[in-house]
Amino acid sequence: MSGMASRRLVRASLGALAVLTGLYLVLPVFIVIPMSFSDSAFLEFPPKAWSWRWYENFLGDETWVSSLVSSVQVGVLVTLCAVVLGTAAALGMIRGRYPLKALVSALVMAPVLVPYVIIGLAVYAVFLDLGLTETLLGFVLVHTALAVPYVVITVSSALMSFDRRLENAAMSLGAGPIVTFARVTLPVILPSVLSGAVFAFVTSFDEVVTSVFLSGPDFTTLPVQMWSGVRVRIDPTVAAVSSMLLLVTLALFAVAGLARLARRVRAGGAKERRSS
Amino acid sequence: MSDGGSVDVRGVVKRYRDTLALDDVTLHVPGGEFVTLLGASGSGKSTLLGVIAGFTEPTSGSVAVDGRDITKVPPYRRGLGMVFQHYALFPHMTVWDNVAFPLRRRRVRGDELRTRVEQALEVVGLGALAKRLPAQLSGGQQQRVALARAIVFRPRVLLMDEPLSALDKRLREQLQLEMKRLHRELGITFVFVTHDQEEALTMSDRIALLRDGRIVQAGTPEELYERPSSRYTAEFLGESNLFPGRDAGTVLVVRPEHLGVLPQGESLPQDHEAYDCDVREVVYLGSGLRVEVELRSGQRVVARTAARGPHVPKPGDSAIVHWHPETSVVVSDDE
Repeated sequence: MSGMASRRLVRASLGALAVLTGLYLVLPVFIVIPMSFSDSAFLEFPPKAWSWRWYENFLGDETWVSSLVSSVQVGVLVTLCAVVLGTAAALGMIRGRYPLKALVSALVMAPVLVPYVIIGLAVYAVFLDLGLTETLLGFVLVHTALAVPYVVITVSSALMSFDRRLENAAMSLGAGPIVTFARVTLPVILPSVLSGAVFAFVTSFDEVVTSVFLSGPDFTTLPVQMWSGVRVRIDPTVAAVSSMLLLVTLALFAVAGLARLARRVRAGGAKERRSS
Repeated sequence: MSDGGSVDVRGVVKRYRDTLALDDVTLHVPGGEFVTLLGASGSGKSTLLGVIAGFTEPTSGSVAVDGRDITKVPPYRRGLGMVFQHYALFPHMTVWDNVAFPLRRRRVRGDELRTRVEQALEVVGLGALAKRLPAQLSGGQQQRVALARAIVFRPRVLLMDEPLSALDKRLREQLQLEMKRLHRELGITFVFVTHDQEEALTMSDRIALLRDGRIVQAGTPEELYERPSSRYTAEFLGESNLFPGRDAGTVLVVRPEHLGVLPQGESLPQDHEAYDCDVREVVYLGSGLRVEVELRSGQRVVARTAARGPHVPKPGDSAIVHWHPETSVVVSDDE
């Protein structure tokens, strides 16, 4: 076999593998979305007849809607807290000079490594005493801890490539530390902060394991409602909710991706203009 | 009366763990002068600039501007202009906003803000590019913006950290002239850092040559070139030939333009010192010849001579290299 032919074979099989991997990853989507439009009273694939009834059912049902509202509330608050804390933590981890820095970094990142069941169980035991289960505050506290590492990861990588001479320049021009951060550092790393925010929101919005421990009749989030929906009665409403969750997540990442693309196009256009 | 502030560095030491970046540096920069901190990389010249700017806290010693001690003053309250090697323009702001930045920090607003930004851009010839982002400019244009941004708030001292080293030769020479002009027009003090001795010689009123965190010699370009105090200075600035000195620990420095090359047997001018040699290479430079000769000891010596005359040396000639003792300088051998 000639080198050219074998190279082509390798390329073809790599391509096939990529397609298979892609399918494997998105296949659930192709099943859930059609099921959500089924007319049947049971989860059914492929659907025999189509309808919007499960979407109507979702929007007409008080428990579903209130859990959606709770999820959004928690998600927004978690995003705010995680972005502030995560950015501050990233600054401390990249810029700070203090003893046991490695230990501090490990602690900040711990929530990603510790199994969520363990976190959920530990939190449940303590929060029960404090009266924080089934409360907005309880959810926000736990989800924020889970979301902070994602903000830390994106922001610290931006800080590592940040040119600190920009800060020296700002200071030589009369800007104190706060103005320097607000006017120079933050705007430059903003895209990474925003993508960290998307990760934080999605982390909270999708979270089931710890939420199951915290949920109850007084306060439940959408994923937990779905989970109990599946457990108690198999109801295609779950498929409708899943499809909507998917849409929200996709939309958020699409916005983040488009923002990045727009920046690249702008920088690319800049380069062209310079060379002309 | 000059608009420039004087800078006084007194006994500054900067120690990083076990290295001494600055070793007891004392330097007086009179108001309005163009002073260059010259040195190889690692000589401490940028550290010294950082100490003056306030980014680097000295281990000991003090910095004063116009007699006022600013050692403990943070950089943003020193009011010194600074231009950085890689421009350090804010990438998310237009040229206009970059230049307006220091004025906004000083609460300059409205018409005055507009006029002063436009004036500063005019001074560096970039009025037409005000709406561009830094990424849309060439290196030379970016450095001009950085310059406009550093002078727009009328600092009395402008610090520059190798501002031209990222530019190509032609652009560098053009900007050197512009900076000289700017220095004349503004009348403020320039403290300029470079490793390029030619740049230092052409631009400065005075040069401080640094080595291993110490100032080896400070003076006018002429003083440093014509009367180096040490072998290091002689070798760092321009081309030089070294001959053994009469006393131990000294060497004799003779610049190529002070050396003559005569054929063997020709009579020497009166009082001249001379060595026998063989001509190795002759390069025509337009303005003259660069003649490289080899002494009997094997040492190579470079002379610059006229391209015309009765005795134009050719490679292979046996010759005499000679100079008038007054043109030579005895310096300490610090190598």
